[in-house]
Amino acid sequence: MTSPLGKRPGRTVAEGVTVLVAAVVAFPLYWMVLTALKPSAEVISAEPRPWTFAPTLDSFTRALTVQSFGRYFLNSVVIALIVVALSLLISFLAATALTRFRFRSRTTLLIMLLVVQMVPVEALTVPLFFLMRSVGDTVPAFGLNHLGSLVLVHLAFGLPFAIWMLRGFVAAVPVELEEAATLDGASRFRFLWQVLFPLVAPGLVATSVLSFIHAWNDFLFAKTFIISAAENQTLPLALQVFVKPDQNDWGAIMAGSTLMTIPVLVFFLFVQRRLVSGLAGAVKG
Amino acid sequence: MRFVRFAVVAAVGAAVVAGCAPVQSGPASSGSDEKTGQLRVWLFDEVNRGPKEAVVKEAVEEFQAAHSGVTVDVQYVQVQTRAERFKAAFSDPKSAPDVAEFGNTDLAGYVAAGGFADISGEVSGWDEGADLLPAVLDTAKVDGKVYGLPWYVGVRALYYRTDVFAELGLTPPTTLAEIAPLARRVRAAKPDLLGISVGGKYTYGAMPFVWAKGGEIAEEEGGKHTAAIDSEQARQGVAAYTELLRDDICPPAQCAGNGGDASVEAFRAGKAAMTIGGDFNRKSVDESAAAGKYAVVPLPGETAGSIAPAFSGGNLLGVMSGTERKTLAVEFLKLLGGKQYQQKMFTAMGNLPTFADVQAEVAKNDPFEEPFIKTLSAGARFVPVTADWAEIDAQAVLPTMFQQVATGAQDVNTATTAAAEQMNAAFGS
Amino acid sequence: MSQQVVRTRFRRGDGRVAYAYLAPALLVLAGLLGYPIYQLVLISLFDYGQEQVSGGAALEFLGLGNYRALLSDSQFWTVLAQTVGFAAVCVLGTLLVGTALAVLSTRVRTWARTLLFLAALGAWATPAVAGSTIWLFLFDANFGFVNEVLGTTGFSWTYDRWIAFGLVAAQVIWCSFPFVMVTLYAGIKAIPVEVVEAAALDGASTWRTARSVILPLLRPLLLIVTIQSIIWDFKVFTQIYVMTNGGGIAGRNLVLNVYAYQQAFAASQYGMGAAIGVVMTALLLLITFGYLRALRRTGEEL
Repeated sequence: MTSPLGKRPGRTVAEGVTVLVAAVVAFPLYWMVLTALKPSAEVISAEPRPWTFAPTLDSFTRALTVQSFGRYFLNSVVIALIVVALSLLISFLAATALTRFRFRSRTTLLIMLLVVQMVPVEALTVPLFFLMRSVGDTVPAFGLNHLGSLVLVHLAFGLPFAIWMLRGFVAAVPVELEEAATLDGASRFRFLWQVLFPLVAPGLVATSVLSFIHAWNDFLFAKTFIISAAENQTLPLALQVFVKPDQNDWGAIMAGSTLMTIPVLVFFLFVQRRLVSGLAGAVKG
Repeated sequence: MRFVRFAVVAAVGAAVVAGCAPVQSGPASSGSDEKTGQLRVWLFDEVNRGPKEAVVKEAVEEFQAAHSGVTVDVQYVQVQTRAERFKAAFSDPKSAPDVAEFGNTDLAGYVAAGGFADISGEVSGWDEGADLLPAVLDTAKVDGKVYGLPWYVGVRALYYRTDVFAELGLTPPTTLAEIAPLARRVRAAKPDLLGISVGGKYTYGAMPFVWAKGGEIAEEEGGKHTAAIDSEQARQGVAAYTELLRDDICPPAQCAGNGGDASVEAFRAGKAAMTIGGDFNRKSVDESAAAGKYAVVPLPGETAGSIAPAFSGGNLLGVMSGTERKTLAVEFLKLLGGKQYQQKMFTAMGNLPTFADVQAEVAKNDPFEEPFIKTLSAGARFVPVTADWAEIDAQAVLPTMFQQVATGAQDVNTATTAAAEQMNAAFGS
Repeated sequence: MSQQVVRTRFRRGDGRVAYAYLAPALLVLAGLLGYPIYQLVLISLFDYGQEQVSGGAALEFLGLGNYRALLSDSQFWTVLAQTVGFAAVCVLGTLLVGTALAVLSTRVRTWARTLLFLAALGAWATPAVAGSTIWLFLFDANFGFVNEVLGTTGFSWTYDRWIAFGLVAAQVIWCSFPFVMVTLYAGIKAIPVEVVEAAALDGASTWRTARSVILPLLRPLLLIVTIQSIIWDFKVFTQIYVMTNGGGIAGRNLVLNVYAYQQAFAASQYGMGAAIGVVMTALLLLITFGYLRALRRTGEEL
């Protein structure tokens, strides 16, 4: 490949360094999977070894059978997918408005999108808690103790960054295309969904990854909003089951973490290439 | 689109009008009293929870068999994060559980927050209720009303390793002042053992030192509390306890962050020669590296033969005030907190029962309980009975004080003065 | 709507259509962010504890009372200084590592780059709770691999204030550098090869090419990743909460965000917790806009 800074001689050294860095970065993940596969005697050992000769799925079994892990997993998936779908739709429309149109208060809105990201989420849990309680009085499915409340907050917190990011992708689509489409008599609506939407696809993918991670990783809201309904808890909370007052069940914690990381990783790898081009596009706006 | 702009303005306007003041919840009572459905129960997670879980499961099965159409869902709550869990539950009674276990030190605060229902009538009208130890029942009362059923009495004493003491030719301490030199000797001889496993966050292990020296947490006069933790005697107690959190006894790097559970855990792991543990820790120690190699004596006081006043702990079972199934909740309370299951909990966990007859019986048959019952009868103390205590506890005022001294960040006088100021601020409000 | 005459770029009625497109987003943001933020400010002006929440006690309007109490509390200033210092280290570390690795990955063949990206994506994908727990276990005093390798078994990495902060910072950098790296890498790749070659033909050294050709082209990108890093690192919560067990021994590893949470939820002084949240937001605003201004002075536009 040719690169702007490409120079042959130092390449071997550079590649050596790259491999080394990759190993260091990946090591905690390796340790996670390894610990999950070790028999429990090796996990809590005064002489931890970076390998195991007796891999076992015991820890995974414990993680999966104790306290309906599957149910939590499903809850997390459902929440994340709904949030991704909704936020894509809403942020795509908003991003289009913010790049394709010029209107008063456009800059103000853009700045507001940045500002709301600065409010610490943890401080907002208190007002949100009471908001969700009132919402629950009218629509129980979106109230406290229900998955709907989590969908709502994740949607709200993921949106500013999603719009901010998608803006760049929409801006990158040449205006001429739009003009051509309009000349062909395409309605604004058709243009939006049949021309612009597919063109922005890489950006949508990149945005959806981040929305997904955002909803998937949440610990705070799940902990605060799901008060007593065990059946509505999510994965990060399930992990807490293994954090104990006596000795943490590290094997099960690591097995749970592995199970929790895999979907995101798969999602990432799946869209890796688009993510890279996507992030670059995002910032050109 | 003008209407959109209008809608936004209207929505914002409505929000402003609706929210002139922050939200407050109304009275929590829901009124209804369903006889079927799901009963949600919160119990505390513990060191070696297995046996507790087994007993609870048995009770749940018995209860479900007796009440058709009723399921009982038990969740185990971490003691460390209980404050936020309970507060969330109080703030939304609809989502709260129906029955919950809670510590007697939290009682006043929880009642002030309107979290638990008055069950005075239910307890006095219950035939087993008459046998509850009056002193113990008092720990469940606020202004004469009963808000919980005492489930067990928690009192702490000194655990020590008989094998280590025999090997080094030591005898258990007879005064408070002997503990530190003794612990130092053990650690000098066996550097991989903690002399005594204590923790910077182990308030209930530390308070006996303060009480033994004649200090108090706070003093009450005319219904108003004033901090007394900065008195001369209290400071001596703080100094005596934090002397144990040194590199030659229990290194702060290892111990300063520990609470009661973690302190006992080190003893269980066979890494400590002594610890301060409760009756409720006994079964878990019996299933650990220290099994069969330990004994328990009352924590000694200032003079030989005296006993340091212990903290009179214990947990209650209460009915949450927002419950929609009060009758069921009370019935479950009477089952799990009744004589039969207290006996089972004693067998499973070593929890000291709250019924006079049951307690006397287990003491007669089990010499292990002797030091705990001795400690109890020597006079146990309690935290200040005021709703403000929950706040002081949640702000970790006393643990922070012990940790500041243990890490060397502050001396005893500075730390106790700061703690007293913080406590007075809470009492004042 | 569709029958309008096409002008060069913007059409009449843009405002209306724009608002129609924006409506769902505005609705969600106003209801679920705007209103809570408004409530947050409101709560910060009251004495608002558990008894007030449950309706057991009357609300008392304090005005700026909570803020006054906060600013005169010495612990607040310590925590504030720690937060700024901690965030600065995290932001600088993240940018430095991310940029260096982005440049590095343009200079190696695909296989090596894929390897690095895989590892980085893995770190990025790890949920914060899981990531913090893994690191904690790696650095565990008795069972941790790091102590085993260093031969320091029993050494506690979370006891000393600065070592604990360092460990958490390392974890934060580990999981946030991939965003910077991937973004900047994509940015560098997007620079037309001719531009760089032209510079090289002019006899510019690699370093000069990097500084005077590539860097200016990357500036908007750097701006975005810097601002996002500031926002994220200033608000670090999970890592501190999990790794130092809620703020360290005697609260010496607290950062503002965790402090606010402890005040609000543990001590149930919601009013005070809200005040800290407001102060934090103001501070972030100040830092971000200060940064933007400094950039504008050097000729950069948002």
